[in-house]
Order: sequence, then C-alpha cells, then structure tokens
Amino acid sequence: MRDRLESLAERLARSSVVDRLVISLAALVTAVLIGGVLVFVSGAFASCRTGLELGGATFCYNPMQVYYELFLGALGHPLEGGWTLTNYSLATTLQQTTLLIFTGLSVAVAFRAGLLNIGTQGQLVVGGLATAVTVVYAAAVVPTGFIGALVLIPLGVLAGALAGGVYGAIPGALKAYADANEVITTIMLNIIAVGITSTLLSWQFQDPNSPNPQTAPVPEYAEIPTIPGGFGGGMDFSLLALAFAVALMIGIAWLFARTSFGYELRTSGIQPGAAAYGGVNEKRMTVASMTLSGALGGIGGAFWVLMVHGRWLENVPSLGFDGIAVSVLAGNSPIGVGAAAFLFGIFDSGGNSIKTATDVPPELVGILTGFIILFVAMPEFFRLLGRRYITVDAARPARADGGDAGVDDGGDDDA
Amino acid sequence: MTEVTTMRNSLHRARAALEQRPLAAAVGGVAAVLVVLWATPASWQTSTLRFAVPIALAAIGGIFAEKSGVINIGIEGLLIVSAFSAIVVVDWLGDGGATAGVPNLWWGMLIGVLVSVLFALLFAIVCLEFEADQIIAGLAVWLISLGLAPFASRILFDSPNTANITRFENVTVPVLSELPVVGYLLFDTEPQVYIMLAGAVAGWYLLSRTTFGRWVVASGENPKALDTAGVDVRKVRYAAVLLSGVFAGLGGAGFGLGTLGTFAGTGDTVINGRGFIAIATYLLANYHPIGALLGSFLFAGLNSMQSGLQAAGYAIPTELIRTIPHMSVIVVLVLVGRTRLPDAAGDHYESGED
Repeated sequence: MRDRLESLAERLARSSVVDRLVISLAALVTAVLIGGVLVFVSGAFASCRTGLELGGATFCYNPMQVYYELFLGALGHPLEGGWTLTNYSLATTLQQTTLLIFTGLSVAVAFRAGLLNIGTQGQLVVGGLATAVTVVYAAAVVPTGFIGALVLIPLGVLAGALAGGVYGAIPGALKAYADANEVITTIMLNIIAVGITSTLLSWQFQDPNSPNPQTAPVPEYAEIPTIPGGFGGGMDFSLLALAFAVALMIGIAWLFARTSFGYELRTSGIQPGAAAYGGVNEKRMTVASMTLSGALGGIGGAFWVLMVHGRWLENVPSLGFDGIAVSVLAGNSPIGVGAAAFLFGIFDSGGNSIKTATDVPPELVGILTGFIILFVAMPEFFRLLGRRYITVDAARPARADGGDAGVDDGGDDDA
Repeated sequence: MTEVTTMRNSLHRARAALEQRPLAAAVGGVAAVLVVLWATPASWQTSTLRFAVPIALAAIGGIFAEKSGVINIGIEGLLIVSAFSAIVVVDWLGDGGATAGVPNLWWGMLIGVLVSVLFALLFAIVCLEFEADQIIAGLAVWLISLGLAPFASRILFDSPNTANITRFENVTVPVLSELPVVGYLLFDTEPQVYIMLAGAVAGWYLLSRTTFGRWVVASGENPKALDTAGVDVRKVRYAAVLLSGVFAGLGGAGFGLGTLGTFAGTGDTVINGRGFIAIATYLLANYHPIGALLGSFLFAGLNSMQSGLQAAGYAIPTELIRTIPHMSVIVVLVLVGRTRLPDAAGDHYESGED
C-alpha cells in the first residue's frame, strides 16, 4: 500500500516538474504582457506634460520604461555606468527575497498538506511582535555585545516561531476539530491579528520616545549584522539571513523528501483518504502542518524585525500575502520557492524604482501578482495554446497547484 | 469540544426543523424580528440595515455560484471593483447632477454592476473554459481587484482614496412609512436597502421556485443528470456565476453610493473582508437567500454595534472592537461546522466524458 502510494507520488512529482516550470514562466510572461497593456492604456487617463500622442489622446506611460525600472531598477540598473554588486536596490531585492522565502515556505508547507493557509500574514504580524518584545525585555538580563547577540537573536527567532506557530495552530485546530474552512478563518485571523497586536502595542509595548506606533528598538548588537558591511548604502540586508533562509529551504525540501513526517504530510495533501488508511492521524496532521506553516510565517516576522527595522512597527508590509504568490508560482516546491521569492523580491524593490523614476502608481506590482496567480491557476490555458502551436504528445500532467486533492471524490465533503 | 458539538447539533436540528416547516419559520422569524426591533435603538437598526447591504447581496450572489458548482471566493474582489467604479462614474459625470434625465448616482449603480459582472465573466471563463482551480482563481480575482482599485484611484485622484460624492437620499414610501415599528425602517430608507430586500426575495424565488433555479441546483449536485436531461451544464454555470456578479455588484455599488460616499483604497480597502464575511453568512444560512439576509443582519448588527461602542467611548481599545465581526465569523463557522457543499462544487464538468 505504502509503496504503491510512494511510487505514485514520485511519478506525479517528476512528470510535472518541467510542466510546472513552463507554466510558471508562461504565467509570468502573460501577466507582464497584460500589465504592459494596462499601463499603456491607463496612461491615457493620467495627466502629464509629455507623452505619446496617438489618435487624439496622450498616453503618458511607457510600459517598456516601467518594466525597465521594475526588472533592472531592482538590480540597481546593471546596464548603466557605475554599477556595483553592493548597490542599494539589489540589497533591497535580496532583503525582500530573504523574507519572502520564509513566507513562501510557510504557504507551501500548508499547501502540500492540502490546506490553503492565507493566514501567513497574520502569523508574521504576531510572530514579529513576539520577537521584538522578547528581545527588548530579555536584553535587560543578558550581557551585551557578541555574547548578547548569540543569545538574543536565536531567542528572538524562537519567540517569533513559537508565536506564529501558535497563531497558525488555531485555524489548524478549528479545521481539524470543528470543520471550519481554513481559507475563511485565516483571512479573518489576519484582520484579528492586526487588532490584537495594535491593542497590545498601545496597552504595553509602545515606544514611549516615539509618536509613531512602534515598539522600543532592540539593542543594536541584537540586530542581525549587515553583511557585507558596505552593502547597499545603509540598506539592512544580511547575507547571514539569506543563508539561513536558504538552509531552511533545503531543510524543508529534505523534510518533504526524506522524513516520514514529510511523506505523511504530502500524502495527506494528495490523497487524504489513503493517508488515513495508511495510519496517518488526519486531524493531528492538519494541526501539525498548520503549526509548522505558522512557525515559518513567524520566523519571517522575526527576521523582518531583527534584520530590517530593529523594532516592530504597526504598519507591516504584505509579505505574507506575497508568500501565497511565491508558493503558487513555485508550484509549492520548497526549492522553487527560492526562485519565486527572488522574482517577487525584484517586484518589491522594482516597485520602489517605478515610484521614483515614473509616475505609474506602484500598485501595479499588486495587479501583476494577482494576474500571475490567476494564470498559474489555469494551466489548461497554456496547454491549449501549446497544443495549437506545438505538437506535443500531451500525456495529461498533474495539476500545477498541488492544492486540489481528491478531485474525483466530491462526495467527501458531506457532513 | 463536546459543548461545541452539542451546540452545533442543536443549531443543525433547529435549521433542519426551520427548513421543514417554512410557515412556522416565517412566523417565528417575524416574531423574533419584532422583539429585536422593540428592544433596540432605532439608530442601531438603520445603520445595521445599511451595513447589511454588501454582505447580504454578495452572499446571495455567492449562493447561486456555489449552488451551481463554482465556488466564487472572489466576491470580495467584486465588491471592491463595483464600489470603486460606481463612485468614479458619479464623480466623473458630476456629483449631484443627472445625465440623460437619469440621476448620476443611478448611472454609477449601473456601471458598478456592469464592472462586477465583467469580473465575474473573467472568473467564469477562467474556471469553466480553462479548468482553473476555483479557490486560487477566486483569490487571484480578489488580489487583482485589491491592486486595481488603488492603482486607478492614484491615476484619477492622485491618492488611493477617491473624491467624495453626495450619497443616496432616503426614499419615503407614503402611508407605509407610517406603519408602527417597521415603517420608518423598511419604507423610509435608502434605495440600496430596498434593493437588498427585493434582491433577497428575488433570489429566493429564482432559486427555489423556477426552472432555472432547479437547473442551478442540479448543476451543482449532479451535473451528469442535468446533462442527460439535455441542459447545458456549462451555460447554467456561466449564468449562475454572472448572476453572482450582478448581486455582488448591486451590493458593492449600493454600499459605495449609499453608505460610503468615498472609496478608501489603502490596506484591505474599505470593503475590508465583507465579501469573505458574506461567504460565512451563506454557509450559516445553508444556502438559503432569505436566511442569508437574516444572517447578514447578525454581522452588520455587530458592525454597527462596534461603531456605537466606539462612539460611546468605552475603555475597550477600538482596534479590538473593530475586529468583533471578524471574530464572530470564526465562532459561527465553528458552530456551523462543515456544511454540506453541493456534491460537484469545485469540480470541473466535461460534457460527454467517459
């Protein structure tokens, strides 16, 4: 039984790797094309001094320029003179990549278990606050300097993972023991996380020396050191953090491929019935995978606090939501998450270049993200296109999203 | 967990009993409503009705889509684009004016619904032609709307928030508005509330009393049987998803033009999860349009209560109060438990397979 399942899962995974890669790239290209049309057309509604005159209308935006800023601006304009590897924009890209690896892994772990965790954002918010508060309070009793860093940084990351894990376990338990749909509960918990953390902040943890809603700063030695030191003109990026994220990525891949927990988690995602038959406790697996997913989101929050700001701010960027896009684009493969996180890191950093170099609203990046997810969700579209122009012997490959298990058995949903 | 199970069982029993005895349910419902009306302040009631508009109409739309077998989790996005475009149209045509003899507010309503239907069509094509995963595609519709509204707003208004427009005014029905207890509430109110009440009745009639309604149910429960009977499952599903666009569009545009007056596009936008609350509402109501209307009063009532608590200046922190409706969604989902989804919900149906 177990052997048969294993070989089935392996075959599914191998046959679809190339397929997934092609679909992800095609989705990216299509989304970029649609975004380009959108930028061009919306330029007709904007007001500007110079633009392309066409048919009586003035088109203010040049999509080529926008994409030049988005993709090359994010790397620090490597085609222009005076480029260095340690420029500010590239540091921003890598910083976002690091954080998105955590959130992307968080979504991917739940996805592989057949659960759609939209709640990574909330888990990151809660985990980040736990990190900041723990480090600020623990700093009072821990020696300063290098020893302090050795104690405080792991402690802070652990606190973030714990808080995020608990916050992720809640929708997991609600799903396992009360059948509450995790998509809805996690979206609600995201909104609730904002309410809880800002209440806690104003109640206890607000920095008394600041008018902005934020915690007191962690001591400087407890921030993850910016390495290499000259990187990015003051941009807080650490190769150490990126290395940790990559190590975690490999660790999760190893967990999936080589451990019995990972095997049971994947089987629960592909064939819940078979997994239960094979002796997996379905309820406990649901809670466990959501806890692990939440912990990864919490670690994302910890690194956001310890690497980027050195404190927790009420205004948390949408790293958790972008994690969904990262995981979907990566076909929920842990190694794919690395590549997808780099792409969305480019989006985040390139969004800044768009804002400074053009008049196009930076929300464009959010629209592109939505379209990428949409196109990855419809692999059939590209297969049809492919069949029309290229003759392939189309053995029907597995679905690219990996989240839709047990399709042939809709009756499972009965109460 | 046993308490939850007991409570859930009694809820399910009550719901089953209500469905078996519609007359008793109606009489009991009316009586309960009258008691609530007698016991609560009028200002809370009117604001509850207004806040219910997007939730109730989006929920009724969601019922049609999901009953037909297409889970439309993108109704949050439909609410966003319809509310936004309705306000933009009114601002563009001229606030407070009229075009071609029709007040601009109603043009806004029309365009808001059309834009919502357009997005629903996009979603339907993606799901029905290209067999997309419905949940992920719905999520994408939400994320695209979440980016598109502030993107357009920045181009048109140089800000993620739109300009202010003059909202709908009350329409008073003579004589009926003089009725005791319910007159001021139901017959002296804003147009979008009338639309919501009429929409709930129309949705109920369409789903349970017409051939189309039976097709929708069959398309979700047993598409093969419907196919065998000679009805095109694909067309029924298209119609149902487009209908969800109409209802969500009415809800979003009505909310924008009647209650908001301006669209705030930062963060989760001013819609702030109301589409997802609508999904919880129709699960609670077990896909019954009138039930969804009543369920929306629960969440809208909590929403206007938190506004009241905030205004009264209680010591509870406002950030926490603001999440009361969202917390109650979780409580409701736990109590409802797993609802019986239509058998074929989420699945693609290919005619003539085998």
